[in-house]
Amino acid sequence: MMRPEPLLRIDGLHIAFRAGHQWRDVVRGVDLHVAPGEVVGLVGESGSGKSLTALAILQVLPAGARVSSGRIVFDGTDLVGLSQKAMNERRGRDIAMIFQDPLTALNPVIPIGRQIYDSMRTHQTISHKAALARIQELLELVGIRHPRERMRAYPHELSGGMRQRVMTALAISSNPKLLIADEPTTALDVTVQAQVIGMLDRIRRELGIAVLFISHNLDLIAEICDRVSVMYAGKVVESSTVETVFEAPRHPYTRQLLRCIPRLHAGTGPMPTIPGLPPRFDTDLVGCPFAPRCDEARDLCRTSEPPTWREPGHLAVCWDAT
Amino acid sequence: MASLFLRRMGFSLFSLLVVSLLLFVLTRSIPDSPARIVLGDQATAQQIEQFDREHGLDQPIVVQYAIWLERLVLEGDLGRSFTTGLYMNEQIADTFPVTMELVVVAFVVATIVSVFLGTLSAFYRDSLIDYLARLLAVLGVSIPGFWLALILILAFAVEKDWFPPGGFVPLSAGLGPHLLSIALPCFCLSVFYLAVITRMTRSSLLEVLSQDYMRTARASGLSRSRILMYAMRNALLPVVTIAGVSFGHMFGWALIIEQIFNIGGMSRALLTAINQRDYFMVQTVVMMFTIVFVLANLIADLINAWLNPRLAMASL
Amino acid sequence: MNRLRRIVHTFGGPAGFAGACIVGLLVFASIFAPLIAPHDPLAVSILDKLMEPNATHWMGTDQSGRDVLSRVIWGSRTSLTVAGFAVVIGVTLGVTIGMFATYVRGGWLEQAVMRVLEAVSSIPLLIWAIALVGIFGVRDAQWGPFTASSETKLLVLLGLLYIPTLARLTYISALIEVRCNYVAARRLQGVGELRILFSDVLPNCLSPVIVQATLLLAIGIIVEAAVSFVGLGVQPPTPSWGNMLSSGRNYLLSGEWWLSVFPGAAISLTVVGFNLLGDGLRDRFDPRHSTSMSYAT
Repeated sequence: MMRPEPLLRIDGLHIAFRAGHQWRDVVRGVDLHVAPGEVVGLVGESGSGKSLTALAILQVLPAGARVSSGRIVFDGTDLVGLSQKAMNERRGRDIAMIFQDPLTALNPVIPIGRQIYDSMRTHQTISHKAALARIQELLELVGIRHPRERMRAYPHELSGGMRQRVMTALAISSNPKLLIADEPTTALDVTVQAQVIGMLDRIRRELGIAVLFISHNLDLIAEICDRVSVMYAGKVVESSTVETVFEAPRHPYTRQLLRCIPRLHAGTGPMPTIPGLPPRFDTDLVGCPFAPRCDEARDLCRTSEPPTWREPGHLAVCWDAT
Repeated sequence: MASLFLRRMGFSLFSLLVVSLLLFVLTRSIPDSPARIVLGDQATAQQIEQFDREHGLDQPIVVQYAIWLERLVLEGDLGRSFTTGLYMNEQIADTFPVTMELVVVAFVVATIVSVFLGTLSAFYRDSLIDYLARLLAVLGVSIPGFWLALILILAFAVEKDWFPPGGFVPLSAGLGPHLLSIALPCFCLSVFYLAVITRMTRSSLLEVLSQDYMRTARASGLSRSRILMYAMRNALLPVVTIAGVSFGHMFGWALIIEQIFNIGGMSRALLTAINQRDYFMVQTVVMMFTIVFVLANLIADLINAWLNPRLAMASL
Repeated sequence: MNRLRRIVHTFGGPAGFAGACIVGLLVFASIFAPLIAPHDPLAVSILDKLMEPNATHWMGTDQSGRDVLSRVIWGSRTSLTVAGFAVVIGVTLGVTIGMFATYVRGGWLEQAVMRVLEAVSSIPLLIWAIALVGIFGVRDAQWGPFTASSETKLLVLLGLLYIPTLARLTYISALIEVRCNYVAARRLQGVGELRILFSDVLPNCLSPVIVQATLLLAIGIIVEAAVSFVGLGVQPPTPSWGNMLSSGRNYLLSGEWWLSVFPGAAISLTVVGFNLLGDGLRDRFDPRHSTSMSYAT
């Protein structure tokens, strides 16, 4: 049986940063795929390269960063090296993104309704009246009450949770096939987090959008994702369905991460952490990058880079994955 | 928005009052009283007293100020100059429009060109255009306008015959000669602010382009012109403020430039007044400048409030 | 090599270093003017008047036969003295007033002082300068036993006119610093408020003031030149770049270009130097340019 072609497939993605006169790889070979309608999580600590991977998909990397090799195939086309014009046709229309800090991510001097309007009119032929009606629909869909009045509001007049909803409305305004959510709840209060996650889940089910959900919070991933990839030091170290990763992780990093999640009934005592820091990207890595912090590391781990262990629907990059 | 307008108006009026009071007190506290100037050094104490009484100069300063203020606000009457005996309204009416035209032309041209240059400079960062613009900006800020004027007169009016070396040709005498006569003065006047505004536009736009919301705009696939508009609405804010301040400052520099080009504007009125020790005229001229400056700032603030609604809501 | 790099870094980069060199040259010329000027700047010689630049007079002679080069060198002394002392006065008084306003914060006095300063600074410096010099006159003034020359009056005036900008700059910085923890810590130690302000807070407010002071030096040179140009500043025969331009103007149309070009070039070079230095210092102290105000004329 032929597996259907995924909507998004990332092959061996390397992203480099400029350090002085050299380019150094920060993302060192990421493989990822998202099927239509699927929700895939990408989890890792700060500096693991997950946000960069997301930005690379839309080709909106910051100045000083570039894709050094690899392919990002969306709907059959490799996005790497695509012309700005061709890329613009996909941005906001086929692929959309919502960002971490909704206050700084929305233009402060333009009313939110107008920002959605401009995006819609860029990608669709739609009359002025129809666009206004659609904006109201979208705002209701993301759970904003009194959309008619709110349309005219400026971002600073809304609360954090509402701004995130507005960003979501902006992102889905042209019915994208893929929505990339880059830590959408990190800047929000816990209670609001739950609401926003609920909203995202509802929307993707109703509209059938595939979602790439990026976070450092495993619990959130578990709530909304079908599959998850764990990133460390610029590479994917484990990837499988959420159930498998949570119940039968094969990579020590995943195991240690899971141990760090605070549990309500775990009793008192010091909370477990993973000692040490992730490797700096300006140093050359020898062996497994996680070895210094791994509590199961062997000499082999420190000298040689581990192979990729594979099983159908599950991969892990570790010497002891079996 | 309305309350903001009122507050700014209020503050502007306060500034005007403070400055006018300061000037009033200064001009009436110097030992060279108008009586002495008009009647000469040989005047007797009695003659001086009589003169002062006739012109209401023997009253306490506060009362004099009140009278002056009342006449100005209610009747628009700037009063008479004691030294020359002429009505100051007329003198101002002759000279003010000339200076105004010079400054307005210089300002408009400088603003349009510099915003354009600054935008190009920011968008094509580190390109040839960028380096040229930045070089010109440093030069423009450092070479004093009045020296540039002398050089240009030497080069284009003495060596060659392209522009008149001085003098103001009014519009009534023909558009061509009029434009030629104001071309060099306006250019010299605008050079400094062209440099300042280009730099300001460039740095402001660069800062805006690196903001998160511009990334969102790009990720939404907006067209290039739309992205420019999104950026400019934010980047222009400090530029508008500086432009407002610059407009007032240009009036100050116009004084010098006028003298170089022998143009009969406010500078002539001011310097003549100084030479004749007509201090009340001096006060009046400075007041005119103050009013222009305060108005320009007020307009700039209002434009900013329109561009940036957050400002309209914050208390100033 | 490393030493040079460190020195360049002190001035905020190669541009700032270039500025510092130019300023250094200026200071050197003004201090050693008597030694390096080839002729007496006041020596009148009708026979030699209006000579083009030649071997004995590298920059030619003016309408009274005085050597232009020597006058330009001595003019640096005039310009630097006026600009320098004006900045000293402005900084001393301005910083004091700014700190005072911080000291009395929370009351009507603070608002009153700041509003008045804002109102005064709402008129461009040049207009104030011309008007006030016009009012106070250009002759030497008698103040009891002291005689104030036209130069002195100008520099005092300028210094006073610098106060609003510097006071506000200090005040804004001080307001921010006063909320910091180290100030609270000193208060807990029982140190008096005034003492805290001047010994702990003040040093932290100085970097924007230093940057602004450098720019004000450039402005001072230009304003002195402009005011002298219209005959209200330094009076001849004392050489000032401004009054040299003024008299030179009369000979422009008849072709004696050296009377105007050289003093003007001196002004431009000096201003470029101070601007580069000020920019460099600003980059060094405050790369985000958030607290310095630039090019206030």
